[in-house]
Amino acid sequence: MATETSTSDDGAPETGRAGLKANAKWYILSYPLAWLVAIFLVPLGMLVVFSFWVNIPGGQYEMGFTLENYTRFLTSSLYLGQLWLTIELALVTAVVSLLLGYPMAYYLARMNRPWLRSLLLLTIISSLWVTYVIRAYAWQVILASGGVLSSVGVATGILSEPQSFYPGYWGLVVGMVYVFVPFMILTLYSSIRTIDGELLEASKNLGAGPARTFRRVTLPLSKNGIMSGTALVFILALGSYVLPRLLGSSAERTLPVLIEQQIMSESNYPFGAAMSIGLIVVVLVFLWVMIRFTNVTTASLGGSEAIATDDDDDDSVADGGSSGIGAGLAGRLWSAIGNAASSIGLTRALGRIAQAGNSLVTTVDSKTREAVIWVTFRLYVVAVMVFIAAPLGIIIAVSFTPEQFLTFPPGGFSMQWYAEFFTDPSWIGALLNSLGIAAAAALLSTTIGGVLAFALDRFDYRGAAIFGTLGVLPILVPPVIIGVAFLVFFLEMGFAGSRTSIIVAHGIFYAPFPFILITQGLSEIDRTYEEAAMNLGASPIRTIRTITYPLLRANVISGALFAFILSLNEYIIAWLLSLFLVDTIPIQIFNQLRYSYPPTIAAASVVFIGLTVVVMTAIDRMSGGIWE
Amino acid sequence: MSGISLEGVTKQYPGGVLAVKGVDIDIESGEFVTLVGPSGCGKTTTLRTIAGFEMPTDGAVRIDEDEVTDAPPYERDTGMVFQDFALFPHMTIYENIAYGMEAAGEYTDEEIDARVEEMLELVELPGVADRTPDQLSGGQQQRIALARALAPRPKALLLDEPLASLDKKLREQMQVELRRIQQEIGITTVFVTHNQEEALTMSDRLAVMNDGKFEQVGPPEEVYNDPDSRFVADFLGTANIFDGTVTAVDDGYATVDCEGLTLRSKSRPGVEPGADVSVIVRPERFRFDSASADGGTSTATADVNVFEGEITFKRHLGSSVELRVETPDGRELVVVRRSGMDKRSPGDRVTVAVDAEECRIVEA
Repeated sequence: MATETSTSDDGAPETGRAGLKANAKWYILSYPLAWLVAIFLVPLGMLVVFSFWVNIPGGQYEMGFTLENYTRFLTSSLYLGQLWLTIELALVTAVVSLLLGYPMAYYLARMNRPWLRSLLLLTIISSLWVTYVIRAYAWQVILASGGVLSSVGVATGILSEPQSFYPGYWGLVVGMVYVFVPFMILTLYSSIRTIDGELLEASKNLGAGPARTFRRVTLPLSKNGIMSGTALVFILALGSYVLPRLLGSSAERTLPVLIEQQIMSESNYPFGAAMSIGLIVVVLVFLWVMIRFTNVTTASLGGSEAIATDDDDDDSVADGGSSGIGAGLAGRLWSAIGNAASSIGLTRALGRIAQAGNSLVTTVDSKTREAVIWVTFRLYVVAVMVFIAAPLGIIIAVSFTPEQFLTFPPGGFSMQWYAEFFTDPSWIGALLNSLGIAAAAALLSTTIGGVLAFALDRFDYRGAAIFGTLGVLPILVPPVIIGVAFLVFFLEMGFAGSRTSIIVAHGIFYAPFPFILITQGLSEIDRTYEEAAMNLGASPIRTIRTITYPLLRANVISGALFAFILSLNEYIIAWLLSLFLVDTIPIQIFNQLRYSYPPTIAAASVVFIGLTVVVMTAIDRMSGGIWE
Repeated sequence: MSGISLEGVTKQYPGGVLAVKGVDIDIESGEFVTLVGPSGCGKTTTLRTIAGFEMPTDGAVRIDEDEVTDAPPYERDTGMVFQDFALFPHMTIYENIAYGMEAAGEYTDEEIDARVEEMLELVELPGVADRTPDQLSGGQQQRIALARALAPRPKALLLDEPLASLDKKLREQMQVELRRIQQEIGITTVFVTHNQEEALTMSDRLAVMNDGKFEQVGPPEEVYNDPDSRFVADFLGTANIFDGTVTAVDDGYATVDCEGLTLRSKSRPGVEPGADVSVIVRPERFRFDSASADGGTSTATADVNVFEGEITFKRHLGSSVELRVETPDGRELVVVRRSGMDKRSPGDRVTVAVDAEECRIVEA
């Protein structure tokens, strides 16, 4: 930035070059913008347009303008009921994840054994990237009649006969919490870790015991983490398709499930589009409330912990005009949440139990008290860790069963299902498809995210904040909506049902990961290295090649690997865009789960989990622990 | 008021590192004691065992006669000022200062109000109660940290390098300020620093730490002028150190053969001929001797040590001037003279002398 202004100030001979440079910054930006606007915003815009078109039963639709789709959505008690159920499930998932995740995150952030922390984090993070399909399947294995839970129940005499715990509401909640609690833990972890340990010592030194220190110092200072984590889990849960589909009964058809049905079964595109817009509106309203009433930003939801605190002043100015409305709305919102969500009552009850426990232990001396707190805390942490790690362990165990059906515990040891996996052309074809799509999508994501990050770091743009938001926006849109939007778009363009369509969709959907990582890397590079290189006579291109890129390499490669692994494990977008023509491993497993449960699924899952863990470890090695 | 005593305090970390190796000290009520030493010497660990952040693996900690060795930090009544101040960023200055009194739960709101006011006046920052820590400068944050530590009337004040993050000018100002406040309220204080100048100027007594042990404990003048060990002499201030072997001891003075150089020095009990020792000469003890210009090698006569040499380097230190003098046998002497005392400059040949009375012997 500095070089630019100085050259343009130099006078007439320089203006030509400076003009070129000024344009160059727009040329550079045009590449990511072309993708993010033309092939991300345009399909979303088309979705809006489509939602007003007229459906012709039998899979046709025609251009027009009707409010019929919205009327149907907003007047049907079925759809409204399912909309509320979707929101309620997401809320319950977020609150339970918070209760489970906070102690775990606190433990991880405050423990002082680096190797154990790395191990725990790697376990949590690895499970995070394994496709929802496999993880939902793991809970089917656990919750099914004759599954792990039922077998253990019968063996210990708690249950008189085998019983199935799914499909149903609570089975679904357990599965959702299992899938989303790692996001909560990681968000809270990075927030709690930034709390200076000296502050906690200062509190204790001033006479505050562990409970008071937690309440007055740790909790308020991790408020942003709590807000971001809850928002993140809420949005992810809201858009979840695979879990309600695989773990919920027909009563738990959430909005994403209904949308998929409209598109894939009913071929009612306009109505599917209208419901998608409804889901987006819920997300936007929620985000607006979050940003308006807390200081969480979209950037912080996107994973970077840059909480905009300097915006406070502007906000307080703006408050003058709208505080009346805002306060009224906030009051109504809170009372609505308080009345409606039973989960809040649960939180209160837990708070009271904690208080009672606290007053009980204050009667004993501080040393015993700390010991009791410590032991309880550790047991809790171990339980959460088991909850996170066990399901995939069970999948691994059942993959070695010698029997024809899934049983637990497996009645022996056999590699036959692995042999089957590697000899079945349809599995191998799906695997090759998955790998090919993921590699191409990773490349696309990295170029989009990387160029955008570089442009925003190096040049001043009018509206840089908008471009930055555009960079993280894709992951805030529920994937089912991305899938529907791209499907509509590609159908018009004429190449839906191809690998290319999935590659483009994944490439854009996961661009935020390289974008965030590379932005972070660029901000950490000491600019004087580049200045030194230029001072020694290196041209800007040479400087980028010899200084900037080598310093940034870990971030670029981790960004690419993240996009790779996410694309590899993605189900719903790929499924919608496949039009039954393309098979990937998640699609193949999902389809098989509909009909039967051959143990090949378990073997396929283990191969896939292994692949994921290898890539995750590579990322961790490469970047020296980017999660630290 | 109350004192602090450490008895054989030892701290071994789980990895096996012995950070503190059995230190003993009795700090009197109202006394200002500084723990000084290089980084990693165990001074901070020692302070943290007093505060209760580290539990000693052996030994006992007493505050005001009460054994607190196993007590958690919040039951010890110490007020600590941390290196980076550790002001709670989400609370106002008022809330920060009131925090300890609220935790104690034995103050009414009016008492807390009055005490916060009183503390802000003590640190000369009235009127900042409603600000947040990030609205204050480093020096102001430092004062608030002190006010917060003192507000609940602790039995002892613990200072963990609180001046390290301030710039030089502010640091000197705060040294005076800190000492003024400490004397005003007469609180027992333990101060940790690696800055030897701070240690010498602020304390009633200082404890020089090295490798987990106290090398020497005493008033600043005593530790500076009569160092017990080569380490102490070297660590505090500048010292000319001559390693050698004692050849004779008579009448309280020792003759030391330092590789071709014979020095006379005031001896100390226990020094016998044959012992390996170091002779310590503080730079300001040297004087230029214009009379003795016989051109010979340095001699030890009449209890005066004389060196011939050439000035190689000169720098002004403000109130004093430092000169380096190189002797013909290649030794470099550091000499400090009051500024304006003489006009000698690099290249001049000089004779430097120091009385045996001014030299000290320590074990090598």
